[in-house]
Amino acid sequence: MNDAPEIHARPKIVGARIKRSEDPRLLTGVGAYTDDRQVMRVLHVAFRRSDQSHARIRAVDCAAARMAPGIVAVFTADDLSDLVKPLVATSRMANYYATPILPLARGKVRYVGEPVVGIVADSRYHAEDALELIAIDYEPLPIVIDPEQAVRPGAPLLHDEAGTNVIVSREFKRGDPEAAFASAPVHIKGRFRMHRKSPVAIEPRACIAEYEPGRDALTLHSATQVPGIIRDALSSALDIPGHRIRVVSPDVGGGFGGKGSLYPEEIFVCAVARHLRRPVKWTGDRLEDFAASSQGFDEIVDAELALDNDGRILALQADVIGDVGAYSIYPWTAALEPVQVVSFLPGPYRVQNYRGRVQAVATSKAPTGPYRGVGRPISAFVMERLMDMAAAKLGIDAKDIRLRNLIADDELPYKVASGIVWDKSGFQECLHKACAAIGYDALRAKQKQARAAGRWVGIGIACYAELTGIGSRISVAPGMPINTGTETAIVRIDSTGAITATFGIASHGQGLETTLAQVVAEHLGARFEDIRVLQGDSSGVAGGTGTYASRSMVLAGGAATLAAGKVREKVLNAASHLLEASATDLVAEDGKISVAGTDRSITFRDVARAVYAEMGRLPPDARGELAATETYDPVFGTTSSATHIAVVEIDPETYEVRVERFAVAEDCGRLVNPLIVDGQVHGGVAQGVGAALYEEVVYDAQGQITTASLVDYLVPSACEIPPMQVMHLESYSPTTLGGFRGLGEGGTIGAPAAIANAVADALAPLGIEINELPATPERLFRLIEAARARAKP
Amino acid sequence: MKPPAFDYIAAGSIAMAFEALAQAGDDAKIIAGGQSLVPMLNFRMLRPSVLVDINRIAGLDVIEATSEAIHVGALTRHYQLETSPLIARHLPVLSCAMTHVAHLAIRNRGTIGGSLAHADPAAELPMMALLLDAELRIASTSGERTVAARDFLLGALTVDLAAGEIITGIVLPKLPPHTGWGFEEVARRHGDFALAAVAATVTVSDGAIEQARIALTGVGATALRAHQAEGLLIGRALEADLTHRAIDAVRDAIGPETDLHASSDYRRHLAGVLTGRALAAAWRRAHESAT
Amino acid sequence: MSKTCEISVTVNGTTHRAAVEPRLLLSDFLRHTLGLTGTHVGCEHGVCGACTVLVDGDSARACLMFAVQADGRSIETIESLGRIGQMNALQESFHEHHALQCGFCTPGMLMTATDLLRKYPLASDDDIRKGLSGNLCRCTGYEHIVRAIRAVVGKTQERP
Repeated sequence: MNDAPEIHARPKIVGARIKRSEDPRLLTGVGAYTDDRQVMRVLHVAFRRSDQSHARIRAVDCAAARMAPGIVAVFTADDLSDLVKPLVATSRMANYYATPILPLARGKVRYVGEPVVGIVADSRYHAEDALELIAIDYEPLPIVIDPEQAVRPGAPLLHDEAGTNVIVSREFKRGDPEAAFASAPVHIKGRFRMHRKSPVAIEPRACIAEYEPGRDALTLHSATQVPGIIRDALSSALDIPGHRIRVVSPDVGGGFGGKGSLYPEEIFVCAVARHLRRPVKWTGDRLEDFAASSQGFDEIVDAELALDNDGRILALQADVIGDVGAYSIYPWTAALEPVQVVSFLPGPYRVQNYRGRVQAVATSKAPTGPYRGVGRPISAFVMERLMDMAAAKLGIDAKDIRLRNLIADDELPYKVASGIVWDKSGFQECLHKACAAIGYDALRAKQKQARAAGRWVGIGIACYAELTGIGSRISVAPGMPINTGTETAIVRIDSTGAITATFGIASHGQGLETTLAQVVAEHLGARFEDIRVLQGDSSGVAGGTGTYASRSMVLAGGAATLAAGKVREKVLNAASHLLEASATDLVAEDGKISVAGTDRSITFRDVARAVYAEMGRLPPDARGELAATETYDPVFGTTSSATHIAVVEIDPETYEVRVERFAVAEDCGRLVNPLIVDGQVHGGVAQGVGAALYEEVVYDAQGQITTASLVDYLVPSACEIPPMQVMHLESYSPTTLGGFRGLGEGGTIGAPAAIANAVADALAPLGIEINELPATPERLFRLIEAARARAKP
Repeated sequence: MKPPAFDYIAAGSIAMAFEALAQAGDDAKIIAGGQSLVPMLNFRMLRPSVLVDINRIAGLDVIEATSEAIHVGALTRHYQLETSPLIARHLPVLSCAMTHVAHLAIRNRGTIGGSLAHADPAAELPMMALLLDAELRIASTSGERTVAARDFLLGALTVDLAAGEIITGIVLPKLPPHTGWGFEEVARRHGDFALAAVAATVTVSDGAIEQARIALTGVGATALRAHQAEGLLIGRALEADLTHRAIDAVRDAIGPETDLHASSDYRRHLAGVLTGRALAAAWRRAHESAT
Repeated sequence: MSKTCEISVTVNGTTHRAAVEPRLLLSDFLRHTLGLTGTHVGCEHGVCGACTVLVDGDSARACLMFAVQADGRSIETIESLGRIGQMNALQESFHEHHALQCGFCTPGMLMTATDLLRKYPLASDDDIRKGLSGNLCRCTGYEHIVRAIRAVVGKTQERP
């Protein structure tokens, strides 16, 4: 239900390819990232991190470290126990065990990289020197590293009090899947494995806590996506009311979810800054990032699809084991990713009978947190592989089997087995559009020729749907300690006529300073360049969370629409007195208010002066502050969807995979800025290519992280990413203000599935299925050798 | 990832470098390009008490040709090698190899002396030194010695270079006329260390191979020459059956490691594939070359 | 404790004299001693390329050099390319083509591109991609960066 006034004038700001206002400072080297912040007398932190996978901490000897040059203080968990209250990612879900988050490990360490001792020094160099002087006596405990072993009853426990390593379990059911499977003529089954990923933002995590003794107040600058969440959590952990604790995300160098949770280091610097009454700074390095930043995508899925002989889906079932690492991440809980794997598995398809079961198991790895796509990349990978496998078995084209099963326009809104509702989205249209763009039929013909010439060429399609812009009725996990369903906008014109729009979201590359300014300018009637957007600061709005889950344009954009509209009314009200015309005859556009059909006009600045500076110029009811605060809740959420098509060629001797072409047709609703939309798709697809072919976090059998640096964890470079074609469908959401839908995660949801299908298609003549990602040359070598051995008479 | 403390001496001459090294004893490290050394320092995998910086020693970055060979100063940067007209003319296989070495910023600083002294098992330059039968000139306070590349590379990251010794130059004999070359590499990403790489030259006379060289990297503790395989090619024309036998001989000759990125089996497989491709390219080029 | 060394380094045309510990990385010297925070640190092991600067005109990783090694040398950082309102053609092209999102890899991309444009003809987009292979970006998928550089290939690049 769209409550905003329709904009009948030709839209010239929302929808325009406006160059970003973030760019000038970032292009000229005067951005303000967390580590750039220069603070007098700042102290530097280094952490001694566990080199044990699972061990009891028997003793910690910091005596030598304390005496080392430049060392100001050394802290263990005991030293902080009076300074910090533990936080817990709570949830009302049944079958959930919440693990507390502490700034330093107490009693036990549960993953290599867990912080045990914090050193505070005059320089990072000195702090690192002193780390080597700390002696920790560990009593090794049994290794808990393999999720399939950790899941078994009787497995050694990572959290003794939980009594199990399975800290979440959930089931979704709809219809009668057992009966449907029993009677279905066609069954397709597979075991699918997506391996663990690290978000790897190019800026490592960093935070600086500054303490004001005069007010017992703290300001934390942190490379975080969620300043509002951090502020509320720290307020609780440190027992400081919100008006004395402020969290600021300055310029942030990427997040992708890895900066979307509360971290021990943030708690540590705040507690220590307050205790030492000096500013305290921690800038993580890349080793720390790999060992201790949240990870994602680590899922094992046993899935089965039942179809009729025409390839129509009758039923779907899946059992999922999600490896959630050593702790339940705050605030999302360990349920975040694994539950979404099952709740989104049916995708944009008509699935009337479904059973999806998931167990989230704790193992000795860095905690699983949000990573772009959150569970849906795995859902799409599994479902799209099943669809291709079914197509191959039935001799149906991959495009056709999808057309038969994709929910059609006239079936929407459609309720998925998990209760999620697809409101309106161009599922079939995206598939047609992507196929047309890539020239699907011609490609299939070319593939035939290439195959005849001995080349291994593959085409892979992936269709997905996601829920974005979610409101208060949809929760990642019931009883989660935060509210993700609303955002607030404060629009204000000051006495100089300058316009500020303040939000609780926290842009970290998405260009929200630009796109939100576009929305405000349009609804206010102001010029884009006159809007200043303030965001990423917990003190800006009373309550907010940040930027994650493809929500900021829907929620903050919706709030901006409402607030700007209210301020526009006030401006017109004041202007009506100044222009001696009825407000209904006034038009606000381009920063001016004019009387329709005449050349009489005044500027926003004129109005501001009259309201604020000229006594007696306006009657009392037109003199109120030119400001409005509005909170928007979309209530449910809206559907975004896309079709991705990948074309790959595999060297038939070296097994190197090259993604030659990639096309995306996506429906993300109304585009605010096409440049930025394209950029988001490109970036997501690139991470999807990484997930499909290159990236894997590897822990060895002793729980040591072997992909410890950028040498071994392979982030794709420009040579590994194909050129991309992106097409847009703008089906305005019927359920969100402005018709916006969320965008941002689709690339990682569709791309791994499309590439997996393309690789499988290329290898189809060898009878090889691709059910494990990343599909590295080594894995392909093994699959091909095995296939050839099977083929030998 | 800050390095541990060390003392630093910027040697303005070779004599100064020797003096600094002598004073520091076994605990000194020479820094040239630093592209391999500094990451190890930042990871605290190495803790030298002294770094002796030889970047300012003049005259060690010259590439010149004699009638027999190309002489390359040890401080020659990878980018210089990559773009040298002398190398392009006389040793085009090396020009090609240089385009696979890391990335421009690394090539601007990294040196041939440094790369050979570091001897990474998957680096291109040690393989090229073996392919071209290079000789290293090494100086110390005791004078100068010359070592063949094949005797210099002892093991993974291990070379015949004593404390107090500095590589000053590399002599690369020119290739005989009617020599074609091939270079093939598989790496996970562009510029990464090789999973396996093969460089080959083939000198053809009267339709038969007179001389053949096959060098590999990434498939053992050091780069190596596949002498058995080379021997099979002498006196014959390259055709499918001979190529397969050479490939088998190469596969038999190597003992690749298994690591995070590739198994021994896959590396062995690649070595064979790339040998076939490199030999085919070398054979083709041998027939194309005018002199 | 090691002795400090006196160095004289020219950065973006200005000569700075300082006494530094030998182990101080050039990246830290630029960022924290000189306050030029435009050069970014992403890995400190020479892989991500965010710290790329020009040393005597050639691109190099600032995290793989020590400040002492820059004695007598001329360093150019992103701050030398242009100012807000007066960006150079390459920066303008990045702006026009939306070749940055979070901006963290951008300084390294610009310095690398500057060196590539001087050293290579960059005849194909594939050549541009190869030239950029030592600069990791997690946001853009490289598409717009390649277009931005393509748009300035062949145009005169004036040395600052």
